[in-house]
Amino acid sequence: MDLATIGGQLLGTIPLGDIVLYLTPFNLFMFGGTLAFTTLIAISRTETQVEAEFGTLKDKEVKVNLEEFKIRRFLAIVCGLATAGAMITGDLFNFTLFVTLIGIVNIGIVSAVRQVDVLNAAFQYGLIAMMASLPLFGGAAVLLASTGTLSLLEIVKLPYVTSMMTFGSLLLLMGIIGETGVAPFYATKAEMFRTPGSPFILIIHLSSLLVIVRAIEVLLIINKPF
Amino acid sequence: MNIGRIWNSLANPRRIPRLFALILGLILLIGFFIPISLNDHQLYPRPTPQSQINDQNPLAPYDRGGSPFEETGIVRAQYPQNSIELGQITAYLTPIAIGVKDSTYYFGTSILSSPGGLIDEILYYTRGFDTILESSILMMAFVIASWVALHFTMKRDEEGDEKP
Repeated sequence: MDLATIGGQLLGTIPLGDIVLYLTPFNLFMFGGTLAFTTLIAISRTETQVEAEFGTLKDKEVKVNLEEFKIRRFLAIVCGLATAGAMITGDLFNFTLFVTLIGIVNIGIVSAVRQVDVLNAAFQYGLIAMMASLPLFGGAAVLLASTGTLSLLEIVKLPYVTSMMTFGSLLLLMGIIGETGVAPFYATKAEMFRTPGSPFILIIHLSSLLVIVRAIEVLLIINKPF
Repeated sequence: MNIGRIWNSLANPRRIPRLFALILGLILLIGFFIPISLNDHQLYPRPTPQSQINDQNPLAPYDRGGSPFEETGIVRAQYPQNSIELGQITAYLTPIAIGVKDSTYYFGTSILSSPGGLIDEILYYTRGFDTILESSILMMAFVIASWVALHFTMKRDEEGDEKP
């Protein structure tokens, strides 16, 4: 199996020392999509939520003040750039670092909120993100020991798959699931979305979706099921 | 057991870290039964553990040999064509570092050995982009922590969210 089976024809590489970014149509599409979405977020303003109460006619507007707006926009742009980087990187350890950056910035976007429920949920998400850094970097280390390299372009050339490599990729997947908070661990993130400031909250969602898609490509490259 | 109950219990954010920790623990336990396989053609070669210490080398365990700008030390790269000057300055020591090296056997494990003493070319040359990313993760953590500390988002009484 080669890279063309998953991502399409290899269009080129960007060598940065040992870290070689590679460009396939699959990666380039996600990279461009992330950058376009980040640009849209950078130039947009936040929504205003209206909280209605039962039994009264008092509707409360929940607005985002200017300082909060600025820090959230900054962190959302950093999150978008980190996601874009994770899309085209060709190095396993570099990928884990991008995922960690996404995880910590996600907490930051929400930590500026003044709603107790949201902050509690963000705290629980932070606990998972901290725990997830163990399998994330541990998985990368196990893969380095069992393959002898971190470059995906070299791993794809290996003719064999050992059970140690499968275990390492399982750990890596567990770390990515924890950092992005998908399927069974989704409840913490679902609570985090219940806060005003919609376009910045959406980057949390988008980054986890794209990272999971890219992580599946990485796992297929390592395990070579076909 | 009713599956609806299980799904509902997953909707409580307080239970999620415990569930994650449980699943992670089970996977790590599986790891004990996986046969260990080590690739011998490791990317970054190391000398035998303790051999440099037994030789009473003050740079142990980080001695890579070579002399600055004359002879390259033992630093290998995945793609040597991308880092041509590799190994040229790995043996460089500052005057202070030379003084410490001459007076003690434990220079390599002291704080002086990084970053002014022994220059880690793997960290700063072949994998330099990783170093940039690591420090930007740290910077983001400080940005968030200082913003939260300055604006004190946990001041809950202000908007009447919760009675003290």
